[in-house]
Amino acid sequence: MKKIILLCIMFALLFISLFPMLSMFYTSVIPSGTLTKVVKERYINDFETKYVSYLQRKVKGENINLVDDSPNSTTSLAAIGRVELLTDKLDVRVAKYIEFWVKGSGNFSVEIIDAFGGKYTENFTAQPEWKKFTIKQKGIKDIDLRYVSKFAFNFEDGKEFLLDDVKLVYRFPTLLNYVNVLKEDMFSRYILNSLIVSVIVVAGNLIFSTMVGYAFARRRFWGKNILFSLILSTMMIPPQVTIIPVFMLMKKLGWIDTYLALTIPMLVTPFNIFLLKQYIEQLPIELEEAAYVDGASTMQIVFKIVFPLSRPSLAVMGINTFISTWNDLFYPLIVTNSREMRTAQVGLAMYQKLNQIDWPRLMAASSIIGLPVIIMFLLFQKQIISGVTKGAVKG
Amino acid sequence: MLAPCYSHGASLEFRGGENMGKKRKLKYNFETLLLLSPFLVIFLVFGAFPIIFSFFISFTDYSGLSPDYSFVGFANYIHAFKDSIFLTALKNTFIFVIGTIPFTTVFALLLALIINSKFLPLKDVFKAGFFLPSVISMVVISTMWMYLYSADGFFNKMIELFGRQPLPTSWLAYVKTALLSIMIMDVWAAVGYYTILFLAGLQSIPEELYEAARIDGADRKALFSKITLPLLKPTLYFVIAINTIRSFQIFSEVFTMTGGGPMNSTQTIVHYLYIVGFRNFEMGYASAIGYILVFIVLLITLIQGRLLRSEAL
Repeated sequence: MKKIILLCIMFALLFISLFPMLSMFYTSVIPSGTLTKVVKERYINDFETKYVSYLQRKVKGENINLVDDSPNSTTSLAAIGRVELLTDKLDVRVAKYIEFWVKGSGNFSVEIIDAFGGKYTENFTAQPEWKKFTIKQKGIKDIDLRYVSKFAFNFEDGKEFLLDDVKLVYRFPTLLNYVNVLKEDMFSRYILNSLIVSVIVVAGNLIFSTMVGYAFARRRFWGKNILFSLILSTMMIPPQVTIIPVFMLMKKLGWIDTYLALTIPMLVTPFNIFLLKQYIEQLPIELEEAAYVDGASTMQIVFKIVFPLSRPSLAVMGINTFISTWNDLFYPLIVTNSREMRTAQVGLAMYQKLNQIDWPRLMAASSIIGLPVIIMFLLFQKQIISGVTKGAVKG
Repeated sequence: MLAPCYSHGASLEFRGGENMGKKRKLKYNFETLLLLSPFLVIFLVFGAFPIIFSFFISFTDYSGLSPDYSFVGFANYIHAFKDSIFLTALKNTFIFVIGTIPFTTVFALLLALIINSKFLPLKDVFKAGFFLPSVISMVVISTMWMYLYSADGFFNKMIELFGRQPLPTSWLAYVKTALLSIMIMDVWAAVGYYTILFLAGLQSIPEELYEAARIDGADRKALFSKITLPLLKPTLYFVIAINTIRSFQIFSEVFTMTGGGPMNSTQTIVHYLYIVGFRNFEMGYASAIGYILVFIVLLITLIQGRLLRSEAL
């Protein structure tokens, strides 16, 4: 009994702990609206106004009128000939289908026209009683779905047709937010930048930390202990203190807005050296000695013997370095100016300053930046947690 | 005993012994330098030099735009303590540190104790689940919490549900709630990380101690106060120290969520350093702010160390 209560409490706490993330992922796949109010459809016109003059701003037609007859509400539009519903650059991509009700006898066609004059036509036959028609979004061809400017209804000559409740029914869940963010908001570029930078930094740390860690663990040289404690003491100094000279240096070197600036200073870090030194020290020295006697050079010993033996420690270091590089905001913010060179974190931080109304899209952006790290965590939990208990990760 | 298949001399030589010839010794030292060189270059250029150089700039009026500058002595440091925005930033940072660390520490310790208890199954699931938020970047966390804090966001909806008047705009747009909102988020984001540290500390306490105490008739309260807490003290000290250092450097949250606003109510030291250095282009002054931060952090960790070591818990 005690066990069950404890378990329930813990699951509740876990839910609270994961709730912001869950709400982020959920919101990223809703077509429009927010967490508590998901918008699943959008009316283009339901003709519920009392005034034809008001209506005429949105609806163009030779012979239109409002009548008290409707399938779902009170009024609908009576029309003869051609009627155009203006939609002002409507994004139809998120719609699953376009839905409308028509009453009348005879044939009619619907044209979907985009802002560039492209046109898609579909033909229907109406019945004397109200009937719901749909146009599947997938079937629409030859027009730019992002900028649909009007829907035109061509009713058969001379006869009166009633039209009501023209609306878009949204796809839910949808991946469109992700597509938009990646394609239109340059997030694919930001992510590519972050990937390039993270991979280079991880590779650099794997190689250089082994070299330096090995030197500190095994070699004798003048000033070794002083240098090592100097390195450790710089870890205590917040990176914000050094950022101004680093920025000036980058400017002098002409490295601002280049991958060089984003990677070079990060290629080998004091903490990783410390980690590797500790690990290499407890490896059996006999193996290296045997290799030395067999004529192996120092570099061969480092990369053919020590490197493979340090694999567990290198894995912890590599994964944690990847995560901390991927997550860093302050440094890339300082050394990049142009949009093209922004890393994922800088891109997201800047993007959300401009885009706080379209929550689903913003949540898609932040999900896509959070996902690589979450996936890494699910795969390499053990290494990440052991990196933490060694006192690492996240400054 | 296994006889090593190499001569004693070669082994000593490998370990950098003294019996090397001059030529060999030169080669040995050269190789050591080769191993260290990539790091030495990076460390000197991007680590050591900037630390010293930024101390130097903090005594100048260097702007970052023009190469000209002149020495101004302690003017930047004096200016900082007359600058009302800096003082606000200082105050906010202290509120943030003092307001979050106790909660983070207590919650993390409680969670660690529960996860460590024998009654709880699925330990690994909870461990991973609570830790997950701390691998996600602060920018992503800030973005999702902005959404929860927004005018039509989750928290306002909850207030509405309980029949109260929700805030008409985002919680981050109010002077009274902005800093508090960031603090709540930060406690949430940090707890999992310190839970793992406490768990490691708890697991390092040998089980025999508890068994021995139980045999001597100690109750659970006594076990906790006489064994768990004293032995957890190094971990506690470590957790509080690194959390203090981290919290004083709060930047991403402020940069992402509020930009220091409204009316500087969420302005913090590092964010103000960024504004001064890279928006106002007063890099001399910004460097001085950086060094004030170093000084504060050093002082506080020293005081904490003294307090936590002397005080009998």
